Amino acid sequence: MIKEPELEIHPQNFIEENKKREHKYNLYKAILLDIFFVFYSILVVQRAIYYKFFLDLRELPFSWNEIILLFIISVIIGASWAISRTSLSCKLFGIAKENKTTKWSVEIFAWFLFDITFIAGWVVTKISIVGLFSSEGLQGAERLFSALFHPQFGIFDDALFAMIETIYIALIATLISIPPTLLISFFTARNLMKENKITFAVYYVLRIILNFVRSIEPLIWAIIFSVWVGIGPFAGMIALLVHTIASNAKLYSEAIESIEEGPVEAISATGANKVQVVWHAVVPQIVLPFLSFTIYRWDINVRMATIIGLVGGGGIGTMLMQYQGLARWREVGLIILMIAFVVWVMDYISAKIREAIY
Amino acid sequence: MLLKVKNLHKIYKSGTHALKGVSFEVEEGEFLVVIGLSGSGKSTLLRCINRLIEPTSGIVEFQGKDITHIKGEELRLAKMKIGMVFQQFNLIKRKSVLSNVINGKLGSLGTFESILEKYSDDVYQEAYRCLDTVGITDKAKIRADALSGGQQQRVAIARSLMQNPKLLLADEPVASLDPATSNSVMQYFEKINKDLGTTVICNLHFLSLVRRYATRVIALRAGEIIYEGAPRDIDENWFKTIYGEEAEEVEIR
Ligand SMILES: Nc1ncnc2c1ncn2[C@@H]1O[C@H](COP(=O)(O)OP(=O)(O)OP(=O)(O)O)[C@@H](O)[C@H]1O
Ligand SMILES: [Mg+2]
Repeated sequence: MIKEPELEIHPQNFIEENKKREHKYNLYKAILLDIFFVFYSILVVQRAIYYKFFLDLRELPFSWNEIILLFIISVIIGASWAISRTSLSCKLFGIAKENKTTKWSVEIFAWFLFDITFIAGWVVTKISIVGLFSSEGLQGAERLFSALFHPQFGIFDDALFAMIETIYIALIATLISIPPTLLISFFTARNLMKENKITFAVYYVLRIILNFVRSIEPLIWAIIFSVWVGIGPFAGMIALLVHTIASNAKLYSEAIESIEEGPVEAISATGANKVQVVWHAVVPQIVLPFLSFTIYRWDINVRMATIIGLVGGGGIGTMLMQYQGLARWREVGLIILMIAFVVWVMDYISAKIREAIY
Repeated sequence: MLLKVKNLHKIYKSGTHALKGVSFEVEEGEFLVVIGLSGSGKSTLLRCINRLIEPTSGIVEFQGKDITHIKGEELRLAKMKIGMVFQQFNLIKRKSVLSNVINGKLGSLGTFESILEKYSDDVYQEAYRCLDTVGITDKAKIRADALSGGQQQRVAIARSLMQNPKLLLADEPVASLDPATSNSVMQYFEKINKDLGTTVICNLHFLSLVRRYATRVIALRAGEIIYEGAPRDIDENWFKTIYGEEAEEVEIR
């Protein structure tokens, strides 16, 4: 039998220390968030509600000095509020004092934030009930809808050709996206990259880039690329490709993160190297989800390809844009009908395929 | 001496002190069984030995060499000599039995070769030999998840045999099997131990299995070794010390 050795390991201290550190970080976060809340309230009340709504100014006065002054005021209010542990953010991070002051200030401030946001939203959107139901407006709508419901079949063959172009743009973008997406997704899967500092840095940087690329809509990518490679299907395809890689890499890497750990452990315990572990333990577990995401993405890309066409990405969208510009609503009606049909069919097919492979 | 474990400690990030200075030695050819209540640190111990997890302090010496501080290629070579079998089998479900067995050989195959899955005839022959040892050559082409639990565990054993291991670790290999199947799977471990001379360290729950297969027993309680000796010496008193006053022995045949 072995005696308890004298080792300087105290799990209790370890846990305590972690708790303290977490508490401190939460306070920092609460301070920042409170400063933001206060700054936001001041700006919204001053700009949207006072200037726009009450004074009805067209041009809002703007000066950096004023903004900086307001910001400094917010910092003081927000920080002292958070440090007193009675603020909304303290409540959110679970470090608030449990008393009446906290309860009241949190409740009132939360409602206040909600109300001013709603009012500001109303003002900014220029909501106008009158506009929606004016007789002139209603007549225009009636004309438009009656044309849409009497589609002009004269341009059917042109529209069909444009539609096929759109489907192919989506298909090619999806197909080309597969190899780069695969490669990237392994480098953005936390469970594969976390062990080592260097790989974790790669993981982190790649994630940031992907998030950035994904946050830019395909429509905007299409505008960028139509300047770069010229208006047309090619620009549309690249725009879709870029966005597909960024979005699917995230889905793929999430699939990698949720695989069973057991087989991975078992294979790495046999002395297989990192590449072999990924290929023989990770890949077999993710083939099906990957296929399913990719097919679904093709479906999404067909829809996006139509929209991208509106800004010159080629295909049916570009055609729609042209007829809309000429105010030929019966042709527009046909195109919309065709888009709706294709989208419905694609949706159905992709759902069926995905069902079949699971 | 095949394996020497010296003063091993493991503290998980959560603060759990799972191993508190465990030391023991294993001779070549032994069938060592580790027993203890759930949470006593049995799995942790096995995982520290083959470095699936990193021990906090202490030394594991395998074939006279410290393997707790090696890295990279050297660690990979050490892992190749230590096989491991898990409670949940941990096979690749969608792959055939044969590919699962060949997976045990990956360490000594080239990366490129193993990605293309173009193996030499020798590799296939060896895989069939390993399947033969556990008596399921007829299932070689079937998907792994189409097999019963006992059959899957035999495939997992065959996979570790592909490594030609000096040491075979088994973490409750029969805990999710019924009694009859448990015994048949344990017999394969016995056969490997006796015929191939592979040293086995196995975590087990049932004392009847322990008495039947172990050549030596270690009992853990709360991360410490409280008993070390022959299986037949575990009497009523020791049993109560290991499993607590309320415990009663159940038979499994
Ligand atoms: N990954 C982990 N992180 C944190 N604590 C863990 C982890 N794995 C195990 N533990 C803890 O370490 C202790 C020992 O666990 P271990 O799994 O080694 O026990 P065991 O004897 O194998 O139990 P069982 O018979 O249930 O498998 C337990 O208290 C457990 O909660
Ligand atoms: Mg266990």
